[in-house]
Amino acid sequence: MNIKLAWRNIWRNRKRTLISLSSVSLAVVLAVFTRSFQEGSYAKMIENSVGQLTGYINVHQAEYWKEKSLDNGITVSDSLINTIETVDGVTAVDPKIESFSLVAHGNHTKGALVAGIDPDSEDEHVKLSEKIVEGRFIKAVEKGIVLGEGLSKYLKINIGDTLVMMGQGHYGQSAVGAYPVVGIVKLPSPELNKQLVYMPLNLARTYLSFDDGATSLIVRIDDQSRADEINRAINNKIDTTQYLSMTWEEMSPELVQMIEGDKSGGIIMIGILYMIIAFGIFGTILMMTEERKKEFAMMIALGMQKSKIIIISIYETLYINSLGLIIGTIITLPLVVFFNIYPIRVSGEMAASIEQFGMEPVMPTLVDFDIFWEQIVVVLLIIGIAALYPIISIVKLQLIKALRK
Amino acid sequence: MKPVIEIKDVYKIYKETEVEVKAVNGVNLSIKSSEFTAIVGPSGSGKTTLLNMIGGLDSPSSGSIIIDGTDISQLSSKAMIDFRLHNIGFVFQAYNLIPVLTAKENAEFIMQLQHYSKADRDQRIHELFKAIGIEGKENIRPNRLSGGQQQRVAVARALASKPKFILADEPTANLDSHSTSDLLDIMRQLNEEEQVTFIFSTHDQRVIDRAKRIITLEDGKIISDIEK
Repeated sequence: MNIKLAWRNIWRNRKRTLISLSSVSLAVVLAVFTRSFQEGSYAKMIENSVGQLTGYINVHQAEYWKEKSLDNGITVSDSLINTIETVDGVTAVDPKIESFSLVAHGNHTKGALVAGIDPDSEDEHVKLSEKIVEGRFIKAVEKGIVLGEGLSKYLKINIGDTLVMMGQGHYGQSAVGAYPVVGIVKLPSPELNKQLVYMPLNLARTYLSFDDGATSLIVRIDDQSRADEINRAINNKIDTTQYLSMTWEEMSPELVQMIEGDKSGGIIMIGILYMIIAFGIFGTILMMTEERKKEFAMMIALGMQKSKIIIISIYETLYINSLGLIIGTIITLPLVVFFNIYPIRVSGEMAASIEQFGMEPVMPTLVDFDIFWEQIVVVLLIIGIAALYPIISIVKLQLIKALRK
Repeated sequence: MKPVIEIKDVYKIYKETEVEVKAVNGVNLSIKSSEFTAIVGPSGSGKTTLLNMIGGLDSPSSGSIIIDGTDISQLSSKAMIDFRLHNIGFVFQAYNLIPVLTAKENAEFIMQLQHYSKADRDQRIHELFKAIGIEGKENIRPNRLSGGQQQRVAVARALASKPKFILADEPTANLDSHSTSDLLDIMRQLNEEEQVTFIFSTHDQRVIDRAKRIITLEDGKIISDIEK
């Protein structure tokens, strides 16, 4: 009887119930959207700046992070790689060389970041070949190089042209080379796009006279959220007097700080949104309680215990708000997935300001069920607090006064 | 015959301002089973207050109300609700049916609270609806019934679980003369045939004319108690 009464009661005033349902649904949609876009943007920022360069975990010579010089590079040995690969969660270890060089074509010269990579592994993890806008991606054994689109435009260099490179190799040796451009890549980070030169690892070793060397080992992991734990495990296994393993958060504290700062602003916005939702839910519950006090009194007069009426009132609150939560989730889920696959591309001044931070001006959503659960739990908490009003009203109900209404 | 209700030296005093108001002022009364009693008196005479106290909806400031051997003024709020459920039927002036339930569901409301089986409920409600002339209205919601029909459903609800007595506060106040007459016929018939005890508070002369006992209150005191 309780369930039947509660269900029929919520449809007593259809318009009000529909408005309440809509407000809870809208709240879920807005809250989940806001959080998904926020987390999606952070994930994109991390991917842009971390994924392209350091990886989520990076092992290097102990002094390298303080002074990023080839002289602080490491000699890559199978035993070192095997030691890291045996750590739970590590899926691959890729040696990488990074160095700065002066690059030139025709009358144009520019400082560039030279990245010597294992093309196959890099492509597998960062999908660089998908970002090629002209030509093709480099192969492990060849003399070709790939340039960032911005750099190629600055140098006015095309596929098949030769890029002249000049820099400092290992232990102060001169590094000089001329390499054909086989591809142009459009990197998500505009900053990297203007300065990156990709070359096969072995070619970079030859160019920089650094046989078997690398400036760092990119550690690929199965779950980014386990980066801290895996990093600790690596540091426990390697000789930390020689090597140091760092997470992306340790390597990019300014990015962490920026995300944290932005999150705080987001929390205030979500807080305001929840306040509005809370008042909406409370308003409905208040009206449903006040207009039925006489009915509650009558039911008590007939012999219904107050506890049963409280249960009915809790059912009513749960029905309306659970329906709202379900509808909100059903609306939001496909949209969040859609904007994850097809992110919103920002244009105009906003895009320019995002690019200033070296980020790609896109706003993807993050499909994370934890975000849905968080919002559902918060709305349920609000409902729980609002449901206290009918409970208190029923407990304190003065029978005669309510019956006289 | 042993009285079903015994009221001993009952007072109800309100102290809303500096002045004390004695709504019920030292009432002593006993009502036996199968009575058809009307409590009458002008507005403010204390008849509704007295009825509320008999029904355990309000508690006396002093004195005791004993129903079938139980002093209800000593019961806790929870125990009082349970006592009402199993012993007292109510018919209110404004019918007070639950709008989201059908006529049958309203009538069997108390039986459901008492955990009667569906078969027992169906049988009892069928008998009652037939007896009070609203057969065929079982699945209709209150807002689609006339005032007279709604009050008959309220009577069926009060009678359904066979309480010890029925308290009816101005049951005809919102009814036209035809509906009033029909309702009173039904109540009188139930009183005579099924020995249902009815206690009314009323202004309505038609109710007073049909009552077997008339108790008149004035300023909270019984000024006359006439058995016809």
